Amino acid sequence: MKVMTCPLNGPRNISEFTYGGEFKQMPDPQTCSDAEWADYVFNSEDILGVVREWWMHNPSSYWFLVERHTGSDEILRTFDPKEVFNARVEFTAVTAKETAR
Amino acid sequence: MSSLNTESHIEPAPLQLGTLEQCTLVDLTELPRVGFRGQQSAEYLQARGFTLPDAPNRAVTQADGSHVARLSQTEYLILGSLQDRGERIADEQARWELDHSANYLLPREDSHAWLQLSGVCIAEVMAKLCGVDLRCAAFPPGAVAQTSAARINVIVINLGSKGQAAFQILFDRASLEYFKDAVLDAMAEFDGQVLEIEALQ
Repeated sequence: MKVMTCPLNGPRNISEFTYGGEFKQMPDPQTCSDAEWADYVFNSEDILGVVREWWMHNPSSYWFLVERHTGSDEILRTFDPKEVFNARVEFTAVTAKETAR
Repeated sequence: MSSLNTESHIEPAPLQLGTLEQCTLVDLTELPRVGFRGQQSAEYLQARGFTLPDAPNRAVTQADGSHVARLSQTEYLILGSLQDRGERIADEQARWELDHSANYLLPREDSHAWLQLSGVCIAEVMAKLCGVDLRCAAFPPGAVAQTSAARINVIVINLGSKGQAAFQILFDRASLEYFKDAVLDAMAEFDGQVLEIEALQ
């Protein structure tokens, strides 16, 4: 069976993992346009080549990042999301542009 | 061309050891256990008198016989002691209150069943169910493996000593009967025995 190395748990059978989609930089929700936000939420690049993706190790519910080649399916690197997320993102509510009356 | 003749079974070697030393399964599901998670869980548990493992996927036995396993950077699983029937851990669960600190209670008695597998053959038994190398050289006392065994998610904690190997296995509580049967089936060739919790007193 194919084996992937979980950054927390070490090498595990691929059946222990769940794919979580492409990793994408989140646009600033306060300043981006609706089209930019919809693109972030719904669209995927789906490129042929090395991609960065979210994966989860099911038994430990641990999410991490993977660099994988979509042509060869070779897993090049797995790493903790802390490498990318090094600052807390606050989602402070702003006054709604449209208010129901 | 493949043969349709039935293969002759290999007879197991005569047992040299007592069967209890070979492998024994005990259902500890009735013993209290609890989890805590959050940036301040380590601080909270240390203030409550627990010695914590210094890295994820490690476990430490406390002076009173209870065990603390660290499942991630900020999550801990605490298993009650046989000595007090888990009373200390049940009290810890009861005294926790939600406040402004980042330390959240994870009730584990209803979510996880708990089996103890002990004896000299336990790594061989688990090898029939699980893809991870749980032999002593790769999985020494104090190690934790969060993995899949018999096709369900399990937490395996090696809390044995050199004299007596023992794995604590935690998994979905609704799968207790299924998983127990799977382990017993794997234990059969090693002449495994089931013990009641009272036998451990």
